[in-house]
Amino acid sequence: MSESRVAEFGFFTKDRTACFRLTAPHTAMGAYSWWKEPSWMVDSKRRRMTPNWPWLLSALTLLQVNAVQAHSLKRGSAQDLKCTTKNMQVWDCTWTAPVGVSPGTVKEVCIKDRLNSCHRLESTNIKIAALSPGDHEVAINYLNGFQSKFTLNENDVSLIPDTPESLDLSADFSTSTLHLRWNDRGSAFPYPCNATWEIKVLQNPSMELVKLVSFNTTLSGRDIVHHWNWTSDLPLQCATHSVGIRWYIDYNRFSGYKVWSDWSPLKNVSWTPNSETNVFPQDKVILAGSDITFCCVSQTKVLSGQIGKTFCPLIHLYGENVAIHIRNISVSENSGTNVVFTTEDNVYGTVVFAGYPPDIPQKLNCETHDFKEIICSWNPGRPTGLVGPRNTDYTLSESISGKSVPFKRFETLTNESYRLAFQMLPGQEIHNFTLTGRNPLGHAESAVFINITERVAPHVPVSLRVKDISSTVVTLSWHLPGNFAKINLLCQVEICKASSEREVRNATIKGAEESSYLVAVDKLNPYTLYTFRVRCSTETFWKWSKWSNEKRHLTTEAIPSRGPDTWREWSSDGKNLIIYWKPLPINEANGKILSYNVSCSSNEETQSLSEILDPQHRAEIQLEKSDYIISVVAKNSAGSSPPSKIASMEIPNDDIIVEQAVGMGKRIFLSWHPDPNMTCDYVIKWCNSSRSEPCLMDWIKVPSNSTKTVIESDQFQPGVRYNFYLYGCTNQGYQLLRSIIGYIEELAPIVAPNFTVEDTSADSILVKWEDIPVEELRGFLRGYLFYFQKGERDTPKTRTFETGHSDIKLKNITDISQKTLRIADLQGKTSYHLVLRAYTHGGLGPEKSMFVVTKENSVGLIIAILIPVAVAVIVGVVTSILCYRKREWIKETFYPDIPNPENCKALQFQKSICEGSSALKTLEMNPCTPNNVEVLESRSIVPKIEDTEIISPVAERPGESSEADPENHVVVSYCPPIIEEEIANPAADEVGGTSQVVYIDVQSMYQPQAKPEEEQGIDPGVVAAYKPQMRLPINSAVEDFAAAEDEADKTAGYRPQANVNTWNLVSPDSPRSTDSNSEIVSFGSPCSINSRQFLIPPKDEDSPKSNGGGWSFTNFFQNKPND
Amino acid sequence: MLACLCTVLWHLPAVPALNRTGDPGPGPSIQKTYDLTRYLEHQLRSLAGTYLNYLGPPFNEPDFNPPRLGAETLPRATVNLEVWRSLNDKLRLTQNYEAYSHLLCYLRGLNRQAATAELRRSLAHFCTSLQGLLGSIAGVMAALGYPLPQPLPGTEPAWAPGPAHSDFLQKMDDFWLLKELQTWLWRSAKDFNRLKKKMQPPAASVTLHLEAHGF
Repeated sequence: MSESRVAEFGFFTKDRTACFRLTAPHTAMGAYSWWKEPSWMVDSKRRRMTPNWPWLLSALTLLQVNAVQAHSLKRGSAQDLKCTTKNMQVWDCTWTAPVGVSPGTVKEVCIKDRLNSCHRLESTNIKIAALSPGDHEVAINYLNGFQSKFTLNENDVSLIPDTPESLDLSADFSTSTLHLRWNDRGSAFPYPCNATWEIKVLQNPSMELVKLVSFNTTLSGRDIVHHWNWTSDLPLQCATHSVGIRWYIDYNRFSGYKVWSDWSPLKNVSWTPNSETNVFPQDKVILAGSDITFCCVSQTKVLSGQIGKTFCPLIHLYGENVAIHIRNISVSENSGTNVVFTTEDNVYGTVVFAGYPPDIPQKLNCETHDFKEIICSWNPGRPTGLVGPRNTDYTLSESISGKSVPFKRFETLTNESYRLAFQMLPGQEIHNFTLTGRNPLGHAESAVFINITERVAPHVPVSLRVKDISSTVVTLSWHLPGNFAKINLLCQVEICKASSEREVRNATIKGAEESSYLVAVDKLNPYTLYTFRVRCSTETFWKWSKWSNEKRHLTTEAIPSRGPDTWREWSSDGKNLIIYWKPLPINEANGKILSYNVSCSSNEETQSLSEILDPQHRAEIQLEKSDYIISVVAKNSAGSSPPSKIASMEIPNDDIIVEQAVGMGKRIFLSWHPDPNMTCDYVIKWCNSSRSEPCLMDWIKVPSNSTKTVIESDQFQPGVRYNFYLYGCTNQGYQLLRSIIGYIEELAPIVAPNFTVEDTSADSILVKWEDIPVEELRGFLRGYLFYFQKGERDTPKTRTFETGHSDIKLKNITDISQKTLRIADLQGKTSYHLVLRAYTHGGLGPEKSMFVVTKENSVGLIIAILIPVAVAVIVGVVTSILCYRKREWIKETFYPDIPNPENCKALQFQKSICEGSSALKTLEMNPCTPNNVEVLESRSIVPKIEDTEIISPVAERPGESSEADPENHVVVSYCPPIIEEEIANPAADEVGGTSQVVYIDVQSMYQPQAKPEEEQGIDPGVVAAYKPQMRLPINSAVEDFAAAEDEADKTAGYRPQANVNTWNLVSPDSPRSTDSNSEIVSFGSPCSINSRQFLIPPKDEDSPKSNGGGWSFTNFFQNKPND
Repeated sequence: MLACLCTVLWHLPAVPALNRTGDPGPGPSIQKTYDLTRYLEHQLRSLAGTYLNYLGPPFNEPDFNPPRLGAETLPRATVNLEVWRSLNDKLRLTQNYEAYSHLLCYLRGLNRQAATAELRRSLAHFCTSLQGLLGSIAGVMAALGYPLPQPLPGTEPAWAPGPAHSDFLQKMDDFWLLKELQTWLWRSAKDFNRLKKKMQPPAASVTLHLEAHGF
C-alpha cells in the first residue's frame, strides 16, 4: 500500500507540470482547493500542515501506521497482526506465522474477551465481527503447540472502504463536458457518516492528470447515485479522457484508521472522428476577453494555426493533433472570428464568436399614444458584438396580465429602433413590464412599473380646421386618434399673427374615443391673418404631442373702430378748404377701407361730398370763410367708422414768436407748457419751409395731457429746414400756440456768401456780403469767418489758408446780422487775398475768395525815387573830382607813354642784329626806363632760379626755337612777362584748330611759384596745353609717373593755374574769398595784353572744380555767381 | 462603359420577348448576353470584395486558396479544353443555364444568411442581375429553338445547413460559391463570344485558354 501511495505522489507531481504547461493556472489551483477540504488525516495536528504536502504526509502517515501496528502486535510473540475493515462490522485480520512455523499449521484463534471464543482455522487470516472498544487479547495456537498472543484494539484497525464503482461516464462534446455518475452504496454503512470523494481526470495517451477534485457527501443509510460534471478547457474531441474515483469514510464512532479506497478502474471517453469536422470547438460563443483552446485533429502534419490574421504557436497534443491557446480573445466581427489550421494539403477551421452578454436595457420607457398599445423603447447599452442568430433576443413581459412580446431582429439596429408594441388590455391601467435581453452568453433585464394613464403622449392632432364665429372669435377643431375616453386632454393652441407675435392658450377638453375636438378661440382681431396650430397632452402631463400642421386663417371684418385722423388747410387763395386724413392703421381699420365720406356742416347747412375711394386721403371743398365742422367717416365692408370732426377755422393768436429747434437722427423733440384751455388734444404739423403754402407734410395728434413729443418721420432729411406748428384744441377749434423752425440735423452751408469790396483805400478795405439762401444754408447760420493776407493771384502760398500761419489774419463774425466789414491797417499798393466763409453747427461752408490791391501811398513813392537819384549824383561828383585830382597817377598806371622805337639809339646800334625780329626790337630798348627789372636766364635743360621771389616763366614755342634760339640769352624785361600759348580748345582739340591768345600772368607778379617739384613730373607730351607755372619736364620723376598721368588726364586742356586746389580755395563762393588776411590770394585769371581785361577762364563743364575758379571783376556785376 | 452595361441590363427583360417575335435572329440577344456577363463580372468583383471582408481573414487574404472540399453540389465551371471545344451550342447553352440556375439558388441562400443589411442589399442586387442573365440565356436558347432544361427534382437546393454543417464550412461554401460564380461568368463570356462569332459570317478562329482564376 505504501508503494502505491508513492507511485501516486510521483504521478501527481508529473501531472502538475503538465497542467502548467497545457492549461490555465486556475485549473491546477482548483484541484488544490478541493484538496484542502477532506478530513482524511488521522492525526489532527497534521491537518494544519500546508496543503502543498498532502500526498507526502499521506505516505508518511501510512508508513507510521504500519510501524505502530507491527509494534503493538508484536507484544505477544512478536509476530504481525493486521486488521482492516470495509464497513466497520467485520474485521479482516492477517498475521505472519512465526519463524519455523508453517502457516498451514494454525489450529485456532482465540479472543479472550468474547468468552474465550475460539475459531478453528488453518490459515493466517481471519474475519471476525467487530470488537467492542478496548483491548482484546488474541491468542493464535498452532498445531505444534506454539502460541502467539496479540492485543487487538479498534484503534489499530484500518477502515478501507470498497473501491467505488462508477456507473456511467458520458461526454457532451459540443460543450466539452464530462458527466460522471456513481453509487455511494450508503446502505452498507452506519449512518450518518461522512464520505469524501476524490475524482481524477487523466488525458490520454500520456495519462496526464488534468483534473483532481475532492468533495464530501454524507451517507444516509441508502444507496444514492451522485453526479459530477466537468468542462474541459481542451475540447474533448482532441484527446481521450479517463476518469477514476476513490473515497474514504469518516465515521466518528470508529476510532481506527481511515484509509482511502483504491481508485476505481478508469473509464475512458473518446471521440470518433468524422471527415467534416477536424477543429474544435465548433461555432462556440464565448465571452470576449476570456481564454480558449482550439485543437485540430489531423492525420497529417499541421503547419500552422491562426486566429483571424494572427498566427499562434502550435501546442502538440499527440499524434498530429495540435492545439492553440488564445488568451483574452477580442470581440468578433459580424461573421465571427475564423480559426484556421493549415496542413500540407488542406485547411481546417472553425468559427468562434466572442462577444458580451446583453447589457442591462437602459432608459426603458413605456408610453401610449392612443390607449390601444403601449410602446416600450429602450437603449440596449453596450453592444454585444454578436449578430445574426446570436443577436440578443428581447422579451417584454407584463407580470399582471402575464402576457409577453418577443423582439427578434436579425441584425444590429440603431439605438432608436429598439421598440416593442404591447397591445393594451381593456381596463388595465397599471402595468409591470420586465424587459429581458438574452443571448448565448447570458441575459439581463430591466423593469418598469407604470400607470398608463400617466404615460400618454398623444399622436399628432390632424385635420385642423378653423371656423369663424365672429370677427374676433373662431373655433378650432381637430382630430386626435386614440381612445381618451377616461381622461381629460390638455391642449395648447398657438396663435400666431402675421407680425410674428405668438400666443399660446391652454384648453382642457374631455377626452373621447376616436373623436374630433373643438375649442373656441376669442379675443382675436378682426380682419387679421392668424396661423393656428395645436398640440395635446393629458391632464396628468407626460409629453406633448408634436405640433399639428399650421392652419392660416383671416378673421372677418368689423367696422373701423374710429374715424380717420383729420386735418385741414386753407388754400393759398383762401377760398378752398383742403381736408386731409390719414389712412387708418390695420388694427383700427378692422377691414379693408373701401371709401371715405366727407361732409361739412355749419349752423345753416350740411354739405356732403361724394364718396371718396380709398387710396385718396384728401378732399377740397369750396367754402366761405366761416365756421364749419368737417366730418370724415371711413367705410369698410362691415360698416362706417365713427366720424372724426374738425373745425374749419382757427382761433387767432397774435402772440407767436418763431423758435428754433434741432433734432437728432431722424427725430426732433418738441416740448411746450401745459395749457388748461386745451381740452381735446394738441396737433403738431410740419412742412418743408421752402415749399409754398398751403404747406403740409404731415401732422400728429398728441393727447391733451402731454407737454412734449418726439416727431419722427422718414421724410425728414438733414440740412433741410422744416416749420413745425403746435396747435392746441379747444372746444371752439384749433389755435396756433407755437411756431418752430428746425432741422433734423444741421449741415455745413453748401455755398459761400457772395461778397463784394465796397471801398478800398491805401490802408483799408470795406467788404460787404449778402445772405445765403435758406436752402443752401442747411442749418442755422452761426457766423462768418473772414481771412485775409497779403498775396497775389496765382501765388501758391495764397491759394489756401492754413490756420496758424502767421501772415493770415482771421476775423470771426458771430453777429449774423452784420453784413459789412472794414479791414484796416493795411499796406498801400499791396495785393490782399480775402476769403469769407459762413458756418453753421454743421460745419464751415465753402470759401469765397477775392484779391484786392490797396491804393498807392504817393508820398512814400516820391521819397523812394528821390533818395537813390540823389545818392547817385553825389557819388558821380565825388568820383569825378577824385579822378581829376589823380589823373597823372592814373595815366602812368594804366596808360603809360609808349616810346617810339625809332627814337631809340639802342635800336639803331643793333639794327643789323635785330633786323627781322620785331620782338627783339621791342624788348631790347636800351634807353628805356624800366619799371621793373627781371633777370631771366633761359636754359634749355633746367632753368636755374636766380631769384626765388620773382620768377618770370619762359614761354617756349617749339616752332620758334629754331628761328630764335633763346638759349643763354639773358633778357631784362621791362614789362610783365608775356606768355603766348596755343590754347587747345577742348571741343576743337581733335580737329586741331587752335587760337592764339597772349596772356599776362598777373599771378606771377605777386605770388612766388609754388610746388615746383610737383609740376616737374608732368609729361609735356601729354600736357599739350599751356602751363604758365610749369617748368619743362627735363627730369621726369619715374615715381610720380602714374600720378602725373592721372593729373594729365584731368588737366587736358587749358589750366592757367595748374593746381586746381588753389582755384578752389579762392572761389568767390568760398568763405575764404572774403578773407583779406589770406596769403594765398590768387587773382586766378590771366589778363589779356590786348584787351587789358581780365579774362575769365573758359567754363569747364566737365570739371566742376574749375568752375568759377577765377575771381574777376565780372563777378561784381553778377548777382548770381553761377549764372 | 459602366453606363453602357447598365443600359444593357436595363433592357434585359425585353430580350426574351424580342426573340419570341423572331425578327432580328439570335445575334443581338447573344451580344447582349455576352455584354451582360461582362457586366456581371464587374459587379461580382465589387460584391466579392465586400463579402470576403465580411467573412473575415483568412478568406479575404489574396493568397488564400483552400482545396475545394465540401461545396460539391456547386456546379463546376472548369472543364477540359478539348471537352469544352467539342460542346455543341445546345449543350453549351444548357450547361450555362443549369449552372446559373443553381448558382442563383445558392446565392439567394447566401443573401438570407448575411448579417448586415448593406450586404443583403448588395447580394439582392446581384441576384437580380443574375436572374437577368438567366432570362437572357433562356432567350438565346428560345431563339435558337432549343428547349429549356427541365428542373431536376431536388435541384432547388435548400440552403439550410444542418447541425453538422459548421459555420466554417459554410464560409468555405460561400467562398467557393463566389469563386465558381466568377469562373462561370468568365467561361460564359467565352461561350457567348464563341456563339456570337458562329452566328456571324466566318471569322478568324479564337484560341481560348480555359482555367480557373483566383479572385
